[in-house]
Amino acid sequence: MSIDVVLQVLVGGILVGGLYALVAFGLSLIYGVVRILNFAHGTILAVTGVAASLIFARWQLSPVLIFILLVPSVFLLGAVFYRGLLHPLERRSPLEATIGTVLVTVGALLILSDVTAVLAGPTQRNIMLRSPVIEVGNIVISVTQLAILAAIVVMTLVIHAILKATWFGLAVRAVTQEPIAAELCGARSLQVKTLTFGVGSATVAIAAVLYVLTFPVDPYMGFGLTVKAFTIIVVGGIGNLPGALIVGVLLGVAEGLVGLFWGPEWSPAISVILLLLILVAFPAGIRWRRG
Amino acid sequence: MNRAVFAVVATIVVAGLAVLPLLGAPYWTTFVFSILIAYVLAQSWDWVAGEMGYINLGHYVFYGIGAYAFAIALSSALMPSVPLAMVIAVLVVAIVAAVLALPLFRLRGDYFAFGTLALLPLAEVLTNNNTWLTGGADGIVLPVAHVLQAAFWLALILAVASFAVTLVINRAPFGFALRSIRNDEEVAEVIGLPLLPTKIKALVLSSLFAGMAGAIQAWQMSYIDAVTVFGLNVALVPIAMALLGGSGLRWGPFIGVVLLAGIQQWLLVNITMLQATVYGAIILLIGRYMPGGILRAGILRGLPWLAPLTREHGAFVADTAIDQVVSSSAVMSAEMPLDRIAPRGTETPLLVCRDVAKAFGGNRALAGVSFNVAQGEIVGLVGQNGSGKTTLFNCISKVHSLSGGEIRFSGRDLSGLRRDQMAGLGVGRTYQIPRPFGDLTVAENVALSLMFGPQREIPARALTEARSFLAYAELDHRRDVRADALSLQEKKLLEFARALATRPKLLLVDEIASGLTPVEVRRFVDRIRAVRDDYGITVIWVEHIASALNAAADRIIVLEQGQLIADGPPAVVFRDQRVLASYLGAAEVVE
Repeated sequence: MSIDVVLQVLVGGILVGGLYALVAFGLSLIYGVVRILNFAHGTILAVTGVAASLIFARWQLSPVLIFILLVPSVFLLGAVFYRGLLHPLERRSPLEATIGTVLVTVGALLILSDVTAVLAGPTQRNIMLRSPVIEVGNIVISVTQLAILAAIVVMTLVIHAILKATWFGLAVRAVTQEPIAAELCGARSLQVKTLTFGVGSATVAIAAVLYVLTFPVDPYMGFGLTVKAFTIIVVGGIGNLPGALIVGVLLGVAEGLVGLFWGPEWSPAISVILLLLILVAFPAGIRWRRG
Repeated sequence: MNRAVFAVVATIVVAGLAVLPLLGAPYWTTFVFSILIAYVLAQSWDWVAGEMGYINLGHYVFYGIGAYAFAIALSSALMPSVPLAMVIAVLVVAIVAAVLALPLFRLRGDYFAFGTLALLPLAEVLTNNNTWLTGGADGIVLPVAHVLQAAFWLALILAVASFAVTLVINRAPFGFALRSIRNDEEVAEVIGLPLLPTKIKALVLSSLFAGMAGAIQAWQMSYIDAVTVFGLNVALVPIAMALLGGSGLRWGPFIGVVLLAGIQQWLLVNITMLQATVYGAIILLIGRYMPGGILRAGILRGLPWLAPLTREHGAFVADTAIDQVVSSSAVMSAEMPLDRIAPRGTETPLLVCRDVAKAFGGNRALAGVSFNVAQGEIVGLVGQNGSGKTTLFNCISKVHSLSGGEIRFSGRDLSGLRRDQMAGLGVGRTYQIPRPFGDLTVAENVALSLMFGPQREIPARALTEARSFLAYAELDHRRDVRADALSLQEKKLLEFARALATRPKLLLVDEIASGLTPVEVRRFVDRIRAVRDDYGITVIWVEHIASALNAAADRIIVLEQGQLIADGPPAVVFRDQRVLASYLGAAEVVE
């Protein structure tokens, strides 16, 4: 096997890993603020990705337009989902609230996949753009892939800037650390939580549009993706953006290499096995020193 | 209630079910068979969830492993024997459960739910990829055996066993252990419960039943593949059933299984598309509107004829065990059933702290604290808020591990010991902010210490003895109240009684008298002295009420910013200029 093949796989791994990291940001943001693990999180990518490919197939809209159309819609749906179905559970006892949120999000996961499969068919689909190709030695990179890579970097920087510099970001960090004190200081927690749920979901929608440009999506791929995002935030640390990006890329590359050397059917097992191994090795979770 | 009536009804129902396969109604036999299997899954899941508070969404994995292990063993060339294959299935499931328990129980709350759910896709991938073992995506086809009757009876036996185990667990110390974990793991461990072994036992027990159900199902169907035993849609159904009925209620899983299986059967006949959507919607609506289950809904609770179905496990235990208690020991004295600890030589101190250090990140909570406590002493521990008093208690009871230095108790180095071992050695403690097991009764709270203690008392006896400890703490009149209904002062007294019931040699008392009236404080001082004088228990008492410590303590130790600044008799320490400046904020002795 030539080194070029490995390098080619590395490029793909970095690309898909960056998208995993975007999905994980959303999950981590929501978990940090709302303290809910959304089991349907990855399914948002599956559904949005299928929707994007359908819109493209039907009307040939430019991916940028699809992006502008879908991301705000998913933001709204996320916010409404939280307000209508999850927020009311906060009034219950802790155990009932946990059970309730697990059931609501798992129920949403089943409904979203099934409805999408019935409407769009359970097949894999993606958006095929004809784009020029750049060759570096024997490695082939399409302009689309470069654009996706650029978009991932830009999105990471934008999210970072939002968290660091805006009122919303400040409120998010405050609520993550000390919900009651944040509320006393004037960050209305319901508002912040609803916004966060919307933003976290929209992050996945952004990843979805980028994902479907190079990789195929299907209605049932969502949960596997949620598991990956979960692994990334356990390893990278809740609310740690650079950590999530690094771990996401490493996971993507590891999956690519395992697929190459061992067979692609083994790739989906990597994240769960990694998760279990990490839990054995680091009982208290991995602590990252803040620089 | 009339147990005889229940026994008769139950016998008739089970006997009626047992003859069902003989009536020549294969449709009904198959339907009831599926209900029995679902009940075993739902009920065994609830031992871990409803009792212990861990939501294991991957429960179905053990069902699948049982099914596969059975099918592989039966179709292997070695010795195709059904009983042998069943035994192999059970063994494989037990081993896998015990091994998986180690990483999984590092997780808590919804993280645990998530980690266990991730097992399903993993199992599916492993099954599909290891074609040599599992037949890959084609699944395993067993020789068609037409064993519906036999499988039905096995499933019936297993279902009855699941219910029986539920009843037994509720009365056994094991059930109390699970409920204490559900309420507060750290406290359960501090009063002497070995945490991880208990959790592993619970998971293995629950997985065994799921695995047997899987084996029976595989035998009856004579075909399995990965999707039917590891698919998300099927895997969550038994859990939804238990939650629909009411997790943690004696009849909850059963009612939920019957209801949801009925609905499912109806949908199967009447709806051809979007079945997963309908399941999903049911699960979502249960979560949104009744996460406590149907049997906890207010409307049903009001119906008297449904009362036996809606009662909690805890209530069931309380009303049987306490009845016996009242009859067996009507006379209650304020004497605790503790042996007086024999005095020992003064040359070996009971507790030795040498250069004890504890840092949280950059914050040095304890920076080299050294002191000894002799057996039979009452030591007052004072210092400003944040001076490290509670941290020191946490280090002695192993809630925290040390960053440096050494603590010895009874001559034994404490490093490497777990919290439950500390309780076993004889270190009891109270919490400054009381942490009772909220949904257990006051008597049960104290009885837990006796059950987990070195004497491993049975629940009935522990509940009897608990009353003596409660009487000693002047809380016996509240014994049947749920602990979370107590006032703050009562909760502190409960902390005191619960710590004494661990039969400690050394008792760590953390700000238990703050908020009491002066008269109550004086009574409490007498209590602390009596604990030492009558039972020989050594006491370290953290309190801000200088007069109380002055009256109770033989010696005062003062901490300031993690360092020991004074150690001596109250009369000396409370006149020390540095202590006064640090602690009382006064530069002169005020008489």
